[in-house]
Amino acid sequence: MGFLGRSGRRGAAIMSARWRRFIPGSRWGLILIPFLWLLLFFAIPFLIALKISFAKAAIAMPPYTDILYWVDGFPVLKLRGENYLYLLGDSLYIKAYLSSLKIAVIATTFCLLIGYPMAYAISQMNPSTRNIALLLVILPSWTSFLIRIYAWVGILKPNGLINNFLMDIGLIDAPLKLLHTPIAVYIGIVYAYLPFMVLPLYTNLVKHDHRLLEAASDLGAKPWQAFLKVTLPLSKAGIIAGCMLVAIPVVGEFVIPEMLGGPDTLMIGRVLWQEFFNNRDWPVASAVAMVMLALLIVPIMIFHRAQSKEMEGRLS
Amino acid sequence: MTPSNSQAPAATPGRPDRRGVDDYLVIDTVRKEFDGFVAVDDVSINIRKGEIFALLGASGCGKSTLLRALAGFEKPTAGRIILAGQDLTSLPPYQRPVNMMFQSYALFPHMNVEQNIAFGLKQDGASKGDIEKRVAEMLTLVQMSKFAKRKPHQLSGGQQQRVALARSLAKSPKLLLLDEPMGALDKKLRSQMQLELVNIIETLGVTCVMVTHDQEEAMTMAHRIAVMEAGRIRQIGSPDEIYEQPNSRYTAEFIGSVNLFEGKIDKDEKDFVTINSPALPDPIFVAHGVTGFTGMDVAFALRPEKLRISKEEPPEPHNKAHGSIEDIAYFGSHSVYHVRLDRGSKVMCNFVNQQRWASEGFTWNDPVWVSWGDLEGVVLPS
Repeated sequence: MGFLGRSGRRGAAIMSARWRRFIPGSRWGLILIPFLWLLLFFAIPFLIALKISFAKAAIAMPPYTDILYWVDGFPVLKLRGENYLYLLGDSLYIKAYLSSLKIAVIATTFCLLIGYPMAYAISQMNPSTRNIALLLVILPSWTSFLIRIYAWVGILKPNGLINNFLMDIGLIDAPLKLLHTPIAVYIGIVYAYLPFMVLPLYTNLVKHDHRLLEAASDLGAKPWQAFLKVTLPLSKAGIIAGCMLVAIPVVGEFVIPEMLGGPDTLMIGRVLWQEFFNNRDWPVASAVAMVMLALLIVPIMIFHRAQSKEMEGRLS
Repeated sequence: MTPSNSQAPAATPGRPDRRGVDDYLVIDTVRKEFDGFVAVDDVSINIRKGEIFALLGASGCGKSTLLRALAGFEKPTAGRIILAGQDLTSLPPYQRPVNMMFQSYALFPHMNVEQNIAFGLKQDGASKGDIEKRVAEMLTLVQMSKFAKRKPHQLSGGQQQRVALARSLAKSPKLLLLDEPMGALDKKLRSQMQLELVNIIETLGVTCVMVTHDQEEAMTMAHRIAVMEAGRIRQIGSPDEIYEQPNSRYTAEFIGSVNLFEGKIDKDEKDFVTINSPALPDPIFVAHGVTGFTGMDVAFALRPEKLRISKEEPPEPHNKAHGSIEDIAYFGSHSVYHVRLDRGSKVMCNFVNQQRWASEGFTWNDPVWVSWGDLEGVVLPS
């Protein structure tokens, strides 16, 4: 009797678990919203761009040919690889990709060198000052990105803030050329993307157990040795996250090189803009975007694999 | 006032010899203040070489601050710490020949067992061969050789503790500090690890200061205990001295359970004293003299296991009282009877269940007699 009663109760539990799946607001409902978001705003636009990249430019509305058309009642799919071959053939595109990657790597390095000490300092503050410091990091992004970059034009231009100040104190006679140089681009990128480095690093560093540093000190490590052997390796995940958050959008950056860079500042974002709006060659522009995506996916996959390997190591 | 027979009892047999000089570690009037709050109040302790010394007290009594001062994490406001003739007071932790086993261990999560143990040795710049040899030695000592390549999170609590111990012993410190060594273990593992830890420490002969709030742990592990309260030392002594000869009501009540009878000294003779307590019908007879005077307010402390419980009136002329059983706590090995005496106060009485079902002899509301020997209580200043 007891056995029967128990198994009956268990059966009821299984039934209710089965039904609960279909009730909105449960696990499925929770996953559905971000899934729909990604589908609508990532997957579908991506597929459209992918489709266009295999088409041919045409003077029409929209300005490209269909890749799927009907011949004698049968669907025919025609994928043209010309746009991709064209990118390979013209050194401009390869140079633009390499230059974008170079700028991203250098800018990310600077962000890390500036952002790590900032994040570390914030994580060491007492909780009330810490929140104020974090707010100061985030606050600039409450202003429009475009306006902030315009502000840098005002600071860097020949009769701008920096040049006027240097001439006023008599350090220089003629204004320095700062605006429309690679340096201006780096300043703009590091300025704009620093919060994306600081925040993940801070989140990581603030969780560190200070007793680990005491243990290191107890075992004979001077403060800087303890930092190198304990804090730095333990913040690896934060460093990786910060670098990804900065490097990936910087590769495709358009506004900063357009406004602060010179005509010789070659970045893939500007090339994309030109193909799309100036040449109205949507298929080539789409191909440029696809290749950029492929270039970015590779490092993401490598990092992801490295991380999941580390996780496996922890679990086994 | 202290009882006149307070001379230390003869060294307990079976306890290892307390070797070496008396002042291997000198804590000399150490004081630590935090923004005007006195955490450690002019504490002085001399610790012998090879001794396991426990700082015991409730949380906030200053024991951890004192330990951290020994490790170098807190700088004393005043006073000195001298270890083997070397003044450590102003040395930073990384220059002290002192290692600590941290509460919940603080193992480096990104290093495996071997690397954790080797950390301190590498810091000293030892050669690779020496490090390997020493790490292997330590792993054998704590029986963790099989787990050398594991990361800390892949180990159980007891295993983590072994690694933490090996790491703190690897550099052969002159002083080992243990911060709540059993705090993170469950009860069963605790009693096993306590003895194992003591065995390892005694085998190596390393001097050890430990901090704990668990009196059982202090009694099991330490050679001597300092009971701390509000930044001060209340009593220093061997576990049996602290238990059987507390010098104050605080120590008596903090260590174990105790029945306290307040009263006044009635007769103060050379070799006996009687105390009148309103809780008892007859004067308490204490068969040793105390330093006090007639009419002085005192407290008579009697451990529950010193009380006998019986149904018939004991034949002794004094030190007995009648009452009835109000509560029974059955622990298996022993039972604790809460007896309400006829004059209203309640006493606890331990009864060892030497025979099976022995506890069934007494039940709730049984009229009983409690009695105690003339030497079993301690007279404390009230």
